[in-house]
Amino acid sequence: MKADVKLVRPGAPRPHYVAVANEERVFKAAFRQRTSILIKGPTGCGKTRFVEAMAYDLGRPLITVACHDDLTTADLVGRFLLRGGETEWVDGPLTRAVREGAICYLDEVVEARQDTTVVLHPLADHRRTLPIERLGLTLNAPPEFCLVVSYNPGYQSILKDLKDSTRQRMVAIEFGFAAPEVEASIVAHEAEIADAKAAELVRLGQAIRRLETAGLREVASTRVLIAAGRLVAGGLGMREAARAAIAGPLTDDSTVTRGLHEVIDAYLAD
Amino acid sequence: MAEVGNSDGVGRLGLLASAIARRPLHVAPTEPGEATWTDGNVVYLDAGKDTREQIETLAVQASLLAAGSLDHPIVRALARRPTLARRYLAVEGHRALTALEPLLPPSVRSLIRPDVAAASDSPSASLSAARSDRAIVDPPARFGTIRPQRLLASLRNAEKSRTQEHIARVQGNRVPLELAEEAAADDDTQDPFASPVGGRGAIGRWLAKLLAPVRQLSGGGSPGADAPTHWTRSGRRGKSHPLFSIATTESVDEPTVEKGAEGMKYPEWDVHGRHYRRDWCTVREVEAKAKAAARFPVPDRTGLRRSLTRLGLGIDRYHRQAQGDDIDIDAVIEARIKMLAGSAPDEAVFINSIRRRRDLSVLILLDISGSSAEPAATGKTVHEEQRAASAALMLALHELGARVALYAYHSQGRSAVSVMPVKRFGENPGALVLQRLGGLEPGAYSRLGAAIRHGTALLQDHGGMPRQVLIVLSDGLAYDHGYEPVYGAGDARHALGEARRQGVGCLCLSVGAATDGETLRRVFGSSAHATLPAPEQLSQVLGPLLRSAIRAADVRRRVG
Repeated sequence: MKADVKLVRPGAPRPHYVAVANEERVFKAAFRQRTSILIKGPTGCGKTRFVEAMAYDLGRPLITVACHDDLTTADLVGRFLLRGGETEWVDGPLTRAVREGAICYLDEVVEARQDTTVVLHPLADHRRTLPIERLGLTLNAPPEFCLVVSYNPGYQSILKDLKDSTRQRMVAIEFGFAAPEVEASIVAHEAEIADAKAAELVRLGQAIRRLETAGLREVASTRVLIAAGRLVAGGLGMREAARAAIAGPLTDDSTVTRGLHEVIDAYLAD
Repeated sequence: MAEVGNSDGVGRLGLLASAIARRPLHVAPTEPGEATWTDGNVVYLDAGKDTREQIETLAVQASLLAAGSLDHPIVRALARRPTLARRYLAVEGHRALTALEPLLPPSVRSLIRPDVAAASDSPSASLSAARSDRAIVDPPARFGTIRPQRLLASLRNAEKSRTQEHIARVQGNRVPLELAEEAAADDDTQDPFASPVGGRGAIGRWLAKLLAPVRQLSGGGSPGADAPTHWTRSGRRGKSHPLFSIATTESVDEPTVEKGAEGMKYPEWDVHGRHYRRDWCTVREVEAKAKAAARFPVPDRTGLRRSLTRLGLGIDRYHRQAQGDDIDIDAVIEARIKMLAGSAPDEAVFINSIRRRRDLSVLILLDISGSSAEPAATGKTVHEEQRAASAALMLALHELGARVALYAYHSQGRSAVSVMPVKRFGENPGALVLQRLGGLEPGAYSRLGAAIRHGTALLQDHGGMPRQVLIVLSDGLAYDHGYEPVYGAGDARHALGEARRQGVGCLCLSVGAATDGETLRRVFGSSAHATLPAPEQLSQVLGPLLRSAIRAADVRRRVG
C-alpha cells in the first residue's frame, strides 16, 4: 500500500529529454507562477522523463508517486503508526514534498481513487495549503513546491475520468509522440544503437500506430521501441527484438499477434 | 473453425494492410491466377505467390486506398474502361507509393519509380495523365489491378444504409404504400411466419406505422412532465427488495431441468391452463460459426464503462486490520490491556477502507430471430443495433472485472431451441469472439422463455460469482410454433420470475426495435427493462437499471 517515492538530486547528469514543442517553457512558467500542472499523453511517450528533466533544470528534488487504485489519502498525506506503546506520525510523500519544497509528481493520477484526489484541491489552487486533519494542522506550501500530475486520457483500462474540479485547478500540457526523426534520435540515444536501426524501428512503430482500430488497446510507444532497441543492442536480431519487445507486450490475442508478426517481418530486416 | 484458420493464409496480412491503408482491411485469397484487387474493405491476394511479392502487391493496393486514389468520383470515371484503369494505375500507383513512402516497409520502397511519380501530384492529375495520349508503360504485375465495378458496389453498400435512414426520417408516419412495399421487398430476411396484414408483413407494418402513437405516453411518464420519454423503465418495482426475498425456492410447481445428451429440457408455462408443461422445450447449444471476414468491429464503450464504473464501488471500512489508514482505538486499547495483563496482544489494530471487489457475473442473451432483421429507426437493422449493444456491453463489463458470457438464441419450435455461445464464461473476448459475433445472422423465431431458463441455468452453473445478472437483448417479440404472443409473453414473464427467485437479477433491453412499451411490459413484466433507439443511449440508462438488478440479486443472496 506504500506509495513509491523517488528522489532525484542535483549533481547527476540531466535526464535525456528532447523538447517537442513549447512544453518546457510552459512548465517553467507554470512553476514560477506556482500553478499546478497536468500532463496528458499516451503511455510511454516521455511524460515521466519530462518531469525528471524539468526537476533537474529547476534544481528541485522530485518526489514521484506511482498512483494505483488502492492509493488512499493517508498514503499521500501520512499516518500514525504504532511504535511500542506510542503512536508516531509518519509523513506521506505529499506532505514531505510540501515541507521540503519539492516537485511532487503523481504519475497516472486517475488510477487513484477519487476521494484521494480531493486532498489535492487546496494544494492545487491559489490557497496552496495542505490541511492535515489527523494532526490538526495546515501546512502552507513554499514557493518552490510544485504539484504535477500526469494522466493518460486514452488509456483503455482506466475506468474513471479525472474530476472536473480537480482538472480545472491545473494548467495542462499535452503530449504526443515525437516526430519520426526526433523519435529515432531518442531511440538511438536511449538504446545505444545506430541511427539507421533506430529509424527502422520508428518506422515500424509508426505503422503500428496507424492501426488504431485493430484490436490493440495501446499503440507502440516510444518506450517499447526503446526496449526493442535495447534488445538489439544486447545482440538480438531486429525481428526477434521487435517480436519480444513490441508484439508481445501489445497484445495477447493470437490472431492479432500473428498479424503483428507479419507487420514486423515486412518492416524489419532479419 | 476453418475460417479462423484462415489467419494462417493470406488473412494474416490483414494487420499490415490496415496499417498502410489506415483503415480496417481484410485480406482474402483470389481465385488462382487472378491479379490482386480490392473492393475497399478486402484486398484479394494471390495465395500462391511468395511472401515478398504478396507484401509488395498488398502495399500498393493499401497505398491506393490510403492516398485517396480509389475515391468515388475517380472510380466512377474508370468504370467500364479497362484501358483507362490500367493507365491510371500505372501513374497513380507510383504517386500513391511516393505519398506514403515514409510509412512503407523497406522492401516496397524499391518499387517506386520517381520519374513516373513526378508526372502527377494528385489522383485527378493521374487521371488526366491517363486520359492523355501520352505513352504510358503498363503497370508492373505487382501493382495488381483496379476493379471499378466492385469498388463502386461496395461504396454503394456503404451509402445504402444512410439513404434508408433518410427516407424513414422524411416520411415519418405517412409512408406511401408503394414505398412501404419497396422497403419490404428490400428486406430479404422477412419473417415468413407473419401474416401479411395483421402481423409484421408489409401492409401490417405500414398500418402499424400509420397508427403508432407519436410518443409513448404510457411508457415514459406523464406528457409534458420532466420525465424521460425515449426510454421506459419499470425497474421501480424491481427495486422493492422484499418482493424477492420473501419468495421461497420451494414453490409447488418449481420447474426442473434435466440435462440429457439430446440437449437440455426445460419446462414452459402455459398461461391459458395456468400450469407448467414439463420438459416441454429442448435447448441445444450450437457452436457459433466464426467468420474471419465478418469480424465485428470493436465498439466504443468509453461512455458505457464510465456509467458502469460507479456500480458497487462503495468503500467499506474494515476494522482490526493489520494495516490501514487509521488506528482502530478500540483495538489498540484492547491490545494495550492485554499486553499489560501479560498476554500476547493482537497486532491488527488499524482501520482500513477498501473498495469492495465487484463480484458479478453477467450473461447476455442476444435475440437473433428473424424479426430482428427489421430495419431500426437508425437505418441499420435491429439485429445490427442489438449486436453492437451486446458487444459494447460484453466488453465494458469484462473490462470492469465482471465475468461475462454472451449467448445468441433463436428457435424453430419447442424441440429446436438453439443457443449459440458467442463468448462463454472464462473465455477471453478476443478476435475469435468478435468473429463469432460478426458471423451471426438473424433467422427463425424466438422462444424467449426457454432461452431465459437456459441462460439462468448457465449463470448458476458457470457464473461462479455470488451476484448474477441476466441481460436479455431482444425486440420483445416472443414468437414461435405454438408460442403465440400472449402465450409467449406469459411464459417469458414467468421465466424471468423464476430467474429472480433463484437470485439472478434480470434486465431486458430492446435496442432499435419498434416494439411499443405495452408489449414490452407484457413480456418483461416487472423486470427492469428499457427501450432505446440506438446503442449509444445505452450508457445513459444502463447504470441505474443494472444497479437495480444487482440490488435485487444482492438481497436474494443475503437472504439465501
